[in-house]
Amino acid sequence: MRQGWTWLAGAFTALAMVMPAKAETVRMTVSFYSAQTGPYYEKMAEEFHKANPSIDVKIEVVNWANLLQKLQTDISGGTNADLSIIGTRWLLDFVKDGIAEPLDPLMAPGFKERFIGPFIKPGTIGGKTYGLPVAASARAMFYNKAMLAKAGFPNGPKTWDEVIAAAEKIKADGGNGFGLMAKGTEVDVYLYYALWTHGGEVLDANQKAAFNSPAGVKALTMYKMMLDKGLTEAAPTNYTRDELQALFKQGRLGMMITGPFLMNQIAKEAPTLEYGVLPVPVGTNPATYAVTDSIVMFANSKVKTAAMKWLDFLFTPAPRIAFTKGEGFLPTTIEEAKDPAFTENERLKVFVSLLPNARFAPTVTGWEDTAKAVTDAVQSVYLGTSTPEAELNAAAAKANQSLGK
Amino acid sequence: MSRFWRSVLSWAVLSPLVVTTILPFAVMISTALKPHAEVLSYPPTWLPQHWAWENFAEMWEAVGFGQAAFNSVLIAVSATVLALLIAVPAAYAMSRLPMRGKGAYRQFLLVTQMLSPILLVLGLYRMVASIPFGDATMADTRLGVVIVYAAYHLAFAVWMLASYFSTIPSDLEEAAWIDGASRARAVISVFLPLALPAIAVTGIVTFVASWNEFTVALTLLRDPSRLTLPLKVVNLVAGRYSVEWNQVMAATLLATLPVAVVFTLLQRYLVTGLTLGAVK
Amino acid sequence: MLIAPSLLLACGVIGYPFYEIVRLSLSEVSRFGQIRGFAGWDNFIRVATDPIFVDALIRTLVWTVTVVGGTILLSVPVALVLREDFFGRGLARTIIMLPWSIALSMAAIVWLWAFNADYGMINATLRQWGILAQPLQWMARPETAFPVEVAIGIIVSIPFTVTILLGGLSSIPGEIYEAARIDGARPWQSFAFMTLPMLRPFMNIAIVLNVIHVFNSFSIIWVMTQGGPDNRTHILVTYLYELSFYLGRPGPAAVVSLVVLAIVFSATAVYMWLREREG
Repeated sequence: MRQGWTWLAGAFTALAMVMPAKAETVRMTVSFYSAQTGPYYEKMAEEFHKANPSIDVKIEVVNWANLLQKLQTDISGGTNADLSIIGTRWLLDFVKDGIAEPLDPLMAPGFKERFIGPFIKPGTIGGKTYGLPVAASARAMFYNKAMLAKAGFPNGPKTWDEVIAAAEKIKADGGNGFGLMAKGTEVDVYLYYALWTHGGEVLDANQKAAFNSPAGVKALTMYKMMLDKGLTEAAPTNYTRDELQALFKQGRLGMMITGPFLMNQIAKEAPTLEYGVLPVPVGTNPATYAVTDSIVMFANSKVKTAAMKWLDFLFTPAPRIAFTKGEGFLPTTIEEAKDPAFTENERLKVFVSLLPNARFAPTVTGWEDTAKAVTDAVQSVYLGTSTPEAELNAAAAKANQSLGK
Repeated sequence: MSRFWRSVLSWAVLSPLVVTTILPFAVMISTALKPHAEVLSYPPTWLPQHWAWENFAEMWEAVGFGQAAFNSVLIAVSATVLALLIAVPAAYAMSRLPMRGKGAYRQFLLVTQMLSPILLVLGLYRMVASIPFGDATMADTRLGVVIVYAAYHLAFAVWMLASYFSTIPSDLEEAAWIDGASRARAVISVFLPLALPAIAVTGIVTFVASWNEFTVALTLLRDPSRLTLPLKVVNLVAGRYSVEWNQVMAATLLATLPVAVVFTLLQRYLVTGLTLGAVK
Repeated sequence: MLIAPSLLLACGVIGYPFYEIVRLSLSEVSRFGQIRGFAGWDNFIRVATDPIFVDALIRTLVWTVTVVGGTILLSVPVALVLREDFFGRGLARTIIMLPWSIALSMAAIVWLWAFNADYGMINATLRQWGILAQPLQWMARPETAFPVEVAIGIIVSIPFTVTILLGGLSSIPGEIYEAARIDGARPWQSFAFMTLPMLRPFMNIAIVLNVIHVFNSFSIIWVMTQGGPDNRTHILVTYLYELSFYLGRPGPAAVVSLVVLAIVFSATAVYMWLREREG
């Protein structure tokens, strides 16, 4: 009997010693959203490991500024992780290069149905699911309640005309009316807000540049007019989105368009700031921009089943709610969206209500070049070197070259 | 002109440069000691209203400064040692031994100096990732970074050392041979002690360059526990929605201080060492 | 035998990546560095017809000439002063050397912060002194951003240059000045006919090394303006970085790399040739 116990204990020890060697390691590259991103994933990995002792998850956090460079070097060196968060706009290149693994065969029944339709759609290419929406956001207008009340719009401006009228009042008081961003990423998108709400499109049905339409010219001319009249901050080419948000948090900016994450930042850094959230101002029609980031699995991964298990865990309600709430994004799965944190947040509801009119970045190669061309055009117009029409036409020609049209 | 007036004049001439040189350090110190709210106050002031010494402690935690500093020291020291181990014999050969293609070798070294790592990022990574190391590859190892640094600084080291070595008269070594010492022995007991100052200066320059290097480290390292100080500091700024400038400045200050001290102490030797190496 | 390891290491670490650049430049390369096929001269044509590239090429030359020129123009008088014997010379030398001790990437971050329009100390101080009424948006316009970058480029290059020049000056024996003075030479004459010629080789080496460094200098411009606004502060290295890692075009980026290499290579060749001719 006694011997039996010893034998059993020995067997256990042996097992325990064998286990780690057998354990599978899933490596995941995570993009840096905020200071909480890393700790969140570390915590989830730990919880997951407790439930699945045979799988280790290793997290590596990378700044957005370096993400493409890391992916490029990793992939060409063959040392990429098993999973990575990427901008969904890169997905097409992943699929074309055969780097991304289609997830459908690995998914448990009903897994794909967990997601909110419009958010999983950009991750689906050629009928196969390659990217799972990990982060989603839409854009709306934030306004400083005190400044706007003083300007005669206590409930905030609804149209571009009202934005201009309010900004004129704010300017008369010596403040910054409407925030224009012309530095860093999404300068192009900031133009598209005005373009879309004036009935324009970035690309036409043939994926050809269409942002130089009359609506586009009108949008850029309007921004430029606001800049010239002093209705914006002093020098948009010096302001990234983050820098505009800093101005807003300090109560030095009347209005700006950005994503729900600003709410989290305000709650943390400027809890006393009185502000409201409204849809993107309307010209002729409502519109906004929605964007997702996706998790992809690399085709050369050797631990696909384990990686999928981890993904399955990540997309259950509790981890999702913690992530989406912590980073200030929009829910991407149906169950998490039912959490009171989202259903009872009036401001967040504004963002959700905008989704039916939201545009996603199209999955085309050359989107990045289009963004660059439009950004250059916007900057050049703000610097006063050229007219909106000429610049947008030049940008369209450039974009078409990259879009292969 | 008396020494007094000469001093006044000298400082007057230097003052614009002195001010611009000190300015970034003043900015660093000023911001590093402000609490977050004051950093983004408008208009800003030079002196903090509230001295936030805790920034340093917070930054130390947030950055993992200790580990990063250890990595930086480890990598920079190893790279320096490796570069010197390879460069000293090469420089000795260049200055003492008759050799064909000496000129070509020199030019080749200069060419390697010209290649900015930015140009080579992809290729470097591919190469390092193809070298097996342990059960993985050299990618994401500190050793990989050390080797690349050593290779990059090699050219400068050989160049400097060779020029300096040729100023050391060979009579002494020859005298040692006559006394019956072997060539190797003569090198070790006679030549090396004389060459020590030059080796030290070369070592310092290599060390500082490795300590400050960014691009190669960014390309090759992944694991957060292996990152060097410049990576950690730049990570505090790049791609963040709100930058904790006080922490950034605290980190920069702490990362710069040791190097600044080394420079202060060795400033005089640097002048003589560098010139000899660079020109002759 | 003794130089073999150095050759091997340098060849490996520099040669292989160089081969990669050539290969990428001739291939159609995807955003993630996968080679999709042979592209012939497509990438070269694409780059050559790219107006941003041409602008960046010209700006690179302007950048190199102004930064290196400014560095030398400032370093010579500074080195001359620092050679004089005056109170606090050691302190002055130490201060001038200080920029050397900050990593370029960190220095650029500090300067960016100092030039921040709203919270930067430069605007704050200028306003305190009544020089500026409104904060100046330094980085908003290329007309102000680029000169600021040039100035910073000069400041960070001065320590190295002054060090070399100081060494050069210390090799000039003091007696010849004494002799010249007795012969009735004015100070500017002894500077123009004695100091300068004897400083020549030191200036040459300072120029060559600075040209190489400044031409390849990436951090200052990338950290401060990323080549913007409207691409009007791009130099070749920042542009090729943007091409490769932001726009996902490694092929054309490799072509720009080759252009950079070709330029630096020919500059060095010219230097070597001059050196040899002078003996």
